[in-house]
Amino acid sequence: MIDFIKDPSFYTLVRGPLVWIAFLIFAGGSVYKIRELYLLAKGEKAVLPFIDGKATLRSILHWLIPFASRNWRIRWPVTILTFVFHICLVVTPLFLLAHNVLLNESWGITWFSLPEGVADIMTLLVIVSCIAFLMRRMFAPEVKFVSFPTDYLILAISFFPFLTGYMAYHQWLLPYKAMVILHMLFGEIMLMTIPFTRLGHMFYFFMTRSWMGSQFALWHSKDW
Amino acid sequence: MAVKDKIVSREFPEYIREPNPDVGLDESIKELTPEKIEKTIKAVLGGRSARIKAVLETCIHCGLCSKACQWYLSNDEDPTYAPVAKMRMTIWEMIKRDGKVDAEFIKQCARIVFTECNICHRCSMYCPYGLDITFIIGLVRRICFVLGVVPQRMMDQDHAHATTLNQVWLSQNDWLDTMQWQEEEVGADFKDLRIPIDKEGAEVMWLPLGAEPKTGIYHVERTAKLMMAAGVDWTIPGPDVWDSSNMPMFLRDFVTMQRIVRGLYENAARLRIKKMVLTE
Repeated sequence: MIDFIKDPSFYTLVRGPLVWIAFLIFAGGSVYKIRELYLLAKGEKAVLPFIDGKATLRSILHWLIPFASRNWRIRWPVTILTFVFHICLVVTPLFLLAHNVLLNESWGITWFSLPEGVADIMTLLVIVSCIAFLMRRMFAPEVKFVSFPTDYLILAISFFPFLTGYMAYHQWLLPYKAMVILHMLFGEIMLMTIPFTRLGHMFYFFMTRSWMGSQFALWHSKDW
Repeated sequence: MAVKDKIVSREFPEYIREPNPDVGLDESIKELTPEKIEKTIKAVLGGRSARIKAVLETCIHCGLCSKACQWYLSNDEDPTYAPVAKMRMTIWEMIKRDGKVDAEFIKQCARIVFTECNICHRCSMYCPYGLDITFIIGLVRRICFVLGVVPQRMMDQDHAHATTLNQVWLSQNDWLDTMQWQEEEVGADFKDLRIPIDKEGAEVMWLPLGAEPKTGIYHVERTAKLMMAAGVDWTIPGPDVWDSSNMPMFLRDFVTMQRIVRGLYENAARLRIKKMVLTE
């Protein structure tokens, strides 16, 4: 197994074509899914005429700011957990020094990089949050009742890129190169699955909030 | 009480309830066939509208909607009362099995969506994605309604609306008679009190709930006194529709539901009313 992972041709595949495929599937799939839902909504007649831009913005903002909505306040441990998880999940890969170096070497572009120590802690936070989510799914009765194998799968999809990244950085368990290859592979899997699994809540969040925010504005009420 | 005296769901062992006999559910399922059920489910869910798709493909099963639900809170946080659990036990299962469910399952769905949910929309206020869970529950209600599996009391109200356009089987004669009788009765104490029927160009049209002219007569009297004291130029509609309670909406009986709303607005347009005042 380890020989297969360390095989140069596998490395070439994972660092070359598969990266392109992953990003194309991620971008194309996202555009496709958003367009699909938009067209369906357009065909339904009762949806798009009721969308209210101001209400949409208010609704989205109240749910993107920690403790700005009632449910974020009464569920404060989950709120802290989910905000830490999502912020670290999005920010760390975008501003990681190692990723920026790769970008610089390939296309000569760079942007702001996080200090390595900070990025290390943020990665650890993602890993710990994933485990906390897993515990919640296994032991909180209202979550356990609605948990399916796919729920554990999408948790694993977001867990492994960070775990392997963290282990590669600290050079644990496997040789650095093998771990980095695994890290790239898991990252690519995650990118490719986002549009086609419920990880798509990444972009559907804005669309569903827009609908409910507009509805509640119509009823002269708040949805936060 | 021992567990054997309770109803335990076949599909979901966590779903344990007290028996609650209801002719509307127990008898009506005897006429269902698997083909009829499958056809109905497929017809109602149809080509997966945007709103169904958005809920199914976004819901991350986090359970954060549960604390919104009064049923969940007042049943010791029993997970089977959570809004997401109600979707899981009804529509998710229907979709998973591609509509191939039996009559007993439909009865269980009807019990969940009609007697354990008030379609109040609070779960949408608590969902981080603002998913329209109530819309989904409404779809399951529609499936049950089309199949005729509805608690008897609710079905009776629906039939009353479909027949008389009010929920209390009150004929138009009775409606007008009641209003004139009330005007006479209170007129003995207040000489200027009027209950104007079909007054064109009035500012306000009062639309009571069905029960008011039938069993809550004193409401009519009090409303008339209030309108008089406030000096409001008001009226009530003579012809149907005057009952502003729209029970068919709760069953998602779209045909009757639209007849009522249309009738109310047609009355308002005919009399050139500025405001409609409803009892709630």
